[in-house]
Amino acid sequence: MDIVVCIKQVPETNEIGWDPKTGTLIREGAGGILNRNDKNALEAALQLREQHGGLITALSMGPAQADEALREALSMGIDKAILLCDSVFAGADTLSTAYALSLAINKIMRFDLILCGKETSDGMTAQVAPQIAEFLHLPQLTGATEIAIENKLVRIKQRLEYGFRIVEAFFPAVITVERGINQPRIPPMDSIMEAYRDKEVQVWGAGDLGGDSARYGLKGSPTQSRNIYTKQVRKGKVTILEGEPDEIARNLIQLLKQKDLL
Amino acid sequence: MDFTLSGESKMMVKAARDFAEREIEPIIPRIEEEDALPDDILQKFAKARMLGMMIPKEYGGIGSTALNVILVLEELAKTGSAAAFLVAFCNSVAETVYQWGSEDIRKRFVPPLCDGSSYPAMAFTEPGTGSDPTAITTTATPDEDYYILNGTKRFISHGHGKGYGVFYANDETGRITAFVADKSSEGYTCSKPWALMGLAGQGLVDVFLKDVKVPKENILGEKGKGFHILLRWIAGERIQQMAFMVGMGQECLNESLKFAKERMVRGRPVTAMQGFQWMLAEMHASIEACRWWTYRVASKQDEGDDIQVDSAALKLFVVPTIQEVARKALQIHGSYGYCKDYKIERLYRTIAHAGITASSTELQKTIVGSALARSKES
Ligand SMILES: Cc1cc2nc3c(=O)[nH]c(=O)nc-3n(C[C@H](O)[C@H](O)[C@H](O)COP(=O)(O)OP(=O)(O)OC[C@H]3O[C@@H](n4cnc5c(N)ncnc54)[C@H](O)[C@@H]3O)c2cc1C
Ligand SMILES: Cc1cc2nc3c(=O)[nH]c(=O)nc-3n(C[C@H](O)[C@H](O)[C@H](O)COP(=O)(O)OP(=O)(O)OC[C@H]3O[C@@H](n4cnc5c(N)ncnc54)[C@H](O)[C@@H]3O)c2cc1C
Repeated sequence: MDIVVCIKQVPETNEIGWDPKTGTLIREGAGGILNRNDKNALEAALQLREQHGGLITALSMGPAQADEALREALSMGIDKAILLCDSVFAGADTLSTAYALSLAINKIMRFDLILCGKETSDGMTAQVAPQIAEFLHLPQLTGATEIAIENKLVRIKQRLEYGFRIVEAFFPAVITVERGINQPRIPPMDSIMEAYRDKEVQVWGAGDLGGDSARYGLKGSPTQSRNIYTKQVRKGKVTILEGEPDEIARNLIQLLKQKDLL
Repeated sequence: MDFTLSGESKMMVKAARDFAEREIEPIIPRIEEEDALPDDILQKFAKARMLGMMIPKEYGGIGSTALNVILVLEELAKTGSAAAFLVAFCNSVAETVYQWGSEDIRKRFVPPLCDGSSYPAMAFTEPGTGSDPTAITTTATPDEDYYILNGTKRFISHGHGKGYGVFYANDETGRITAFVADKSSEGYTCSKPWALMGLAGQGLVDVFLKDVKVPKENILGEKGKGFHILLRWIAGERIQQMAFMVGMGQECLNESLKFAKERMVRGRPVTAMQGFQWMLAEMHASIEACRWWTYRVASKQDEGDDIQVDSAALKLFVVPTIQEVARKALQIHGSYGYCKDYKIERLYRTIAHAGITASSTELQKTIVGSALARSKES
């Protein structure tokens, strides 16, 4: 069973600037880390490989420094890594990101499953994976907290707001995973050395993907940011209620009612 | 001169940090309470491939560099725990056995130190001395294919842990010879661990050797050259120990900053006061100086240079410097720093040991001073 895992490098901190003209993030200079949720996707893929064999490819679109995120994936034990890196891809919104990723996945050819994080810690749209599924005309199983394979069928336990449901699909399929699905492994030291010394991160540009150049990057992004602002955090006054628990509870309800919050 | 760490090194640092947070920090209260390391921790270190990092792959290691080893140790050290020290110890003992051992010794004793099946030991100190090779009283008497070891070794880290160790004894010629011995040999017994000021779980025991039979082929390096081996071990170990000091010093600063930013004095965080800022600045500058010198000496080791004098000079500088960092950190914390609920309390106690073990600070002065006096350049 072969798996493609889509991973994204995200800024290490939340203190990141915006370009007021284009409304895009200024990523230069910000330290990057592998999106934590994507580590869950990598771990899920590794566990599936342990049970069912196969080859895992990590795929990322981003600037040259996203190489680090892919090396981390290789350190964890992923077999192959591909970076989509081209100035043409810059400024991509979710649609054009998913467009490029889906072309790359088609080019990889060998895949039964595509695993993604549910969302990133910076963009947080949770749109990319579903869009990949649409581009590739594949079933999408989102928010997995468990993944099980039976023959050519994949079954997930999907977390819903008020419970769970079991969903299944035939291969190939796109799956997004929840943070709670697993605890990602910490790469062992020898594997880190291999990732940097013996393994390769292939770099693909727009030319390698073919596709419609008008659909890449900022040009290919229908999303337009009208206004971007930083949320004002107002400092409130903290009231600490004291007394016996039931007395506190009664007072709390009273207070919330007074403020029209209940 | 390139001061940037490679991507590989940075990733190792990150992995070590994650490991410390996930595997060491949560078990520290238990280690402190029981004064013992949990049995499975050595296996976890082995699985993370942190043991025998400089040992070539064919002997069970991963063939990495001295610089990478100390970067990993610096991160683990931030826990201030003996668990982290065990990693350093496994590495330095494996390196020594590898460096001096015959092919047979390498094959038999190095892999177990890398795969977590053997606790290391390096037994030199005795009740009468820890610094003076001429005062060693443990004897090794030849008997057919064996040497028979008799004597008492004091303060032996992990002397009671299963596996192999290096033991120093006076052979029949009255010179110190190093032997690799199995800690489960007949006649090998231990005291219960000494109760230490810090480093809970270090397992510092006295070892009683009563007619312990060691095969002659277990002599490490040349017969009669044991003290030389010990000095070489100490030189490498010193760099690792200093990496520990840097890590713990950094954690002292991190904890101090965390505390001082929140601690209010006269309506302002104490960090708003210039006096505190100056303390923090001095701590930062001290740690940076220690860090980069430590990296430098480790790089020299990787370049194959003799690090005997460099590592002694390094220790001479780092120990008092980081001890002063720890003192400031305690001061910044006020009474909270004197309470066991605060990490600084443990770091302070751990840092206190560094000027004594693996040859004292005073001896470093002798090493550096005599080297300078001997040197031809002026
Ligand atoms: C108008 C606009 C302009 C933008 N301009 C820029 C810009 O200039 N530069 C920039 O970097 N970003 C830019 N972005 C953000 C960009 O849209 C997102 O970084 C990207 O589309 C992923 O969306 P997300 O972070 O919400 O991912 P989500 O949809 O939350 O991610 C879900 C999962 O999809 C996968 N995934 C997401 N992104 C990638 C990726 N790049 N490679 C591989 N797998 C991935 C991961 O598995 C991830 O866990 C812009 C966004 C908008 C709206
Ligand atoms: C946590 C810990 C772990 C240890 N682990 C081990 C271990 O695994 N194996 C092992 O063999 N030992 C171990 N030891 C013992 C340690 O290495 C010795 O205690 C140390 O070398 C000092 O020896 P000593 O205590 O006998 O002091 P002494 O040698 O008696 O020294 C006492 C004082 O005299 C000074 N002094 C001694 N000689 C000179 C000199 N020539 N010139 C100037 N000053 C001098 C010293 O600096 C010191 O201040 C450990 C100790 C501790 C605390």
